[in-house]
Amino acid sequence: MLRKVAKLLYFDNWNVLIIVFTEMRDKLRKWREDNHRNSEQIVDVGEELINEHASKLGDDIWIIYEQVMIAALDCSRDDLAWTCLQELKRQFPGSQRVKRLAGMRLEALEKYEDASKQYDSILQDDPTNTAARKRKISILKAQGKSAEAIRELNEYLEQFVGDQEAWHELSELYINEHDYGKAAFCLEELMMTNPHNHLYCEQYAEVKYTQGGLENLELSRKYFAQALKLNNRNMRALFGLYMSASHIAACPKVNATVKKANVKYAAWATNQINRAYQLAGRGTKENKCSVKAVEEMLESMQITMS
Amino acid sequence: MRMSIKLTTQAYCKMLLHAAKYPHCAVNGLLVAEKQKEKKKDSHSTPILCVDCIPLFHGTLALAPMLEVALTLIDTWCKENKYVIAGYYQANERTKDFRPNQVSEKVGARIAENFSEAAMIMVDSTRFTMGCYEPILAIYDHHENKWKCRDCNVDSFDDWCEAQKITSALLEGRSYESLIDFDNHLDDLRNDWTNPEINKSVLHLC
Repeated sequence: MLRKVAKLLYFDNWNVLIIVFTEMRDKLRKWREDNHRNSEQIVDVGEELINEHASKLGDDIWIIYEQVMIAALDCSRDDLAWTCLQELKRQFPGSQRVKRLAGMRLEALEKYEDASKQYDSILQDDPTNTAARKRKISILKAQGKSAEAIRELNEYLEQFVGDQEAWHELSELYINEHDYGKAAFCLEELMMTNPHNHLYCEQYAEVKYTQGGLENLELSRKYFAQALKLNNRNMRALFGLYMSASHIAACPKVNATVKKANVKYAAWATNQINRAYQLAGRGTKENKCSVKAVEEMLESMQITMS
Repeated sequence: MRMSIKLTTQAYCKMLLHAAKYPHCAVNGLLVAEKQKEKKKDSHSTPILCVDCIPLFHGTLALAPMLEVALTLIDTWCKENKYVIAGYYQANERTKDFRPNQVSEKVGARIAENFSEAAMIMVDSTRFTMGCYEPILAIYDHHENKWKCRDCNVDSFDDWCEAQKITSALLEGRSYESLIDFDNHLDDLRNDWTNPEINKSVLHLC
């Protein structure tokens, strides 16, 4: 009787192990697909997966080594990064992709000159290697050389005009330099090639709003509205619509028709914001405070508009 | 002698947790103090205590609309709770860079309009450790329209030992994973930027 029970328990543990293993592997895949930078969690899950379950991973193991290595660099786990790198070097000798990872490790160790040489050697063999070029720009960014990074990135984009990640990076660099006009240009490129992406619309609207002036405010309102059309749950777009419409309505330069229209937009946005908060605050005691604060904020701003 | 602000454990803790949650990003946020009943003529009275910290954004800090929303909303919330926005903190994207920049000065100035003893705080990430052995802030006070860095020997904490102990404990326990900033709130309104759970943890450890 005891032996039968023991056997059952043994099988149960095995099933649990399999479930745990598949969960971990799937988690890593999801984070890879979403390009999540939750490096600590990736290291936690990935390290255990590599150490305990390597044999079960099949060919997945190589891409996991890459993912875990990059996360390890983020967490200053050079020991783990080195292990992953060695495995990849062994399996893929002479690979440009692995060379780039070696370069990233040098970057993490702040050995920027050595890293740069690594990328230069990749580019010698393959001048179209975009990954190496982008890593060189990242080095400039890490060193605080924003002007150079911007210049190199512009040059890169003249050649690789379809690289969306690069356009987005450039828009961020410009925003950090407070060059909102050029940031807007980058986002315009992104919106042209991704007309259904509500995030680009919303970011463009934020840039226009920050630029200021009546014309830019009106543009920002239009693009916040467009972002909402593409995704009616984008709270930033909703708040942005409210803020831009309110500011336009309060502007002494606008005529009565424009003012009336914007008061209407702002009122609509107020309603939607209140609804969203009511929905979110349902049942939670703490959030009631937020709901009230939002209501009062919206009320107080209505006064400044009239 | 001007009254300058001091930080409580809860305020310091949440600032550092915010920076720890997004080590690869710039982060910023506000500090709130309890509203003083009357303006005391005697300037040797107790310094103003920043009792709480509201983490705002991570990533791109130089855009206006959401910052305006946050400032207005938090201002309203402050009025409800008899608080006043008393300071601003920022940790830059690059570890080695802890100088104030255009964003920090602008927001700082805006806060100083409503609160003359406002402080602008820059986090020095190069000295950021799990052990929290030393305070890693550069505190700037608003003085004749300029920001002047406070001497690092000045005690800017209500109770540094407590702040050190509790911040370190929460970092070790990875409490920063559950910290909510205003950006997280905008992603999902149910995320509470007052961070009641973390506040409870801080109290629990006191």
